[in-house]
Amino acid sequence: MVVITLQRNKCIGCNYCVELAPNQFQMSKKDGKSVLLHSKDKKGFFTLKSNDDVIFDDCDKASKACPVKIISVKSI
Amino acid sequence: MQQIELMAPAGNFESLQAALDNGANSIYFGVEQLNMRARATINFTLDDLPEISKRCKAKNVRTYLTLNTIIYDHDLSIVKTLINKAKEADITAVIAMDQAVIASAREVGMEVHISTQINITNVETVKFYALFADTMVLSRELSLRQVKKITEAIEKEQIKGPSGKLVEIEVFGHGALCMAVSGKCYMSLHSQNSSANRGACKQNCRKKYTVIDQETGFEMELDNEYIMSPKDLCTIDILDEVAESGIKVLKIEGRGRAPEYVARVIKCYRDAIDSLENNTYNKEKVVSWMQELEKVYNRGFWNGYYLGQKLGEWSKGSGSHATQKKVYIGKGVHFYTKAKIGEFKIDAYDVSIGDTILITGPTTGAQEMEVNEMLVNDEKLTIGSKGDTVTIPLDFRIRPSDKLYKIVENKVEA
Ligand code: SF4
Repeated sequence: MVVITLQRNKCIGCNYCVELAPNQFQMSKKDGKSVLLHSKDKKGFFTLKSNDDVIFDDCDKASKACPVKIISVKSI
Repeated sequence: MQQIELMAPAGNFESLQAALDNGANSIYFGVEQLNMRARATINFTLDDLPEISKRCKAKNVRTYLTLNTIIYDHDLSIVKTLINKAKEADITAVIAMDQAVIASAREVGMEVHISTQINITNVETVKFYALFADTMVLSRELSLRQVKKITEAIEKEQIKGPSGKLVEIEVFGHGALCMAVSGKCYMSLHSQNSSANRGACKQNCRKKYTVIDQETGFEMELDNEYIMSPKDLCTIDILDEVAESGIKVLKIEGRGRAPEYVARVIKCYRDAIDSLENNTYNKEKVVSWMQELEKVYNRGFWNGYYLGQKLGEWSKGSGSHATQKKVYIGKGVHFYTKAKIGEFKIDAYDVSIGDTILITGPTTGAQEMEVNEMLVNDEKLTIGSKGDTVTIPLDFRIRPSDKLYKIVENKVEA
């Protein structure tokens, strides 16, 4: 299982995560910050648990590219 | 000579209050992510706008919202939201670089200031942007002679902004300079994927670098390794010449700086501008202002490009050359209004009679003073240590959980 977390309030809206993992991230037109699709919000930490392991690589790239390091990707 | 507007950085309420208390005529600040200090955790939020506006209006201080990053399509709606909220809160102007921001601000009738990232270096460009903006920052690399030519042309050709008044020219007066072209830089982006143009500069030019010849492996001997880290700009010693150039606004850098930095720098420049005004600006004062400015964060000072110098002066180290630093002591507990006494709880270190202390807080700003009298746990003692409760007579109000520091000498490497 892959667990992805986005600490959304710190996002500076640079769009890199969307470029690298377009199936998981989308920019919100409302506040210009990244949205982790299908995630659940817990006090500003948006988490997505997925059984689809193929998403790991792209999300991992996004996590490495994020300049404010607010995306974490774990495989468990 | 017309009075110069002194513009102060405000990264949070502490600095904002410090700017107000020390004589700023205007403040600039960022909200949320779309400003050049987007990485900083200290940005204001949208909900802070009314409070910022209220506090500044009470002191007749103008308020400028920085919205000066590059803008993507997905940002357009937040840009509109920010501008609308700023307008609603009666913020004075928006500092912009992207045409979308300029257009959005004009659409709702907000005053626009052109930020340095647009790189205005000639009077025709001033004329062009005068269609949209009332104040413009000129490119940092212009000399005062070049600045003067532009301000004279504004006067002569009567170049007016949307407000119907002559366009005002703003320049940087004090603070960090970087080697990038007026705020546009790809260095952080290339090395760490972190775009300075989105407000995510990682300041990696501030480090030591070695130049290596790839063919021979020969390492260039440099007498100063900080080849990309310029000293800080300081103009207090040439402020008469700066004023002569016809500028209207003097901008102080430092939205990431501590409130006591804002307090001290604004105080010095306030004093300097007032001295120019009443003809008391002189060398002795310059010396004492310089000593004051050296106490807070700096990488060493130089006059930038204003006197025509084209090559940078490089800093000698990565950090600050400040001659003073603050040490955390404890927190504010209570203020006895009638007696004008502040009560503090000491959490670390100690405080003695004769120490210079600094008290900071969102409403308190940054207040510095010498301790002449104090009670430690209700007894007259000369030193208070960890765990003690001390009361000190104050001529300003403090609030619970304001922070108490002690100012100590900072050993600077030669
Ligand atoms: S990479 Fe990071 S900062 Fe950039 S949009 Fe995505 S989450 Fe936000």
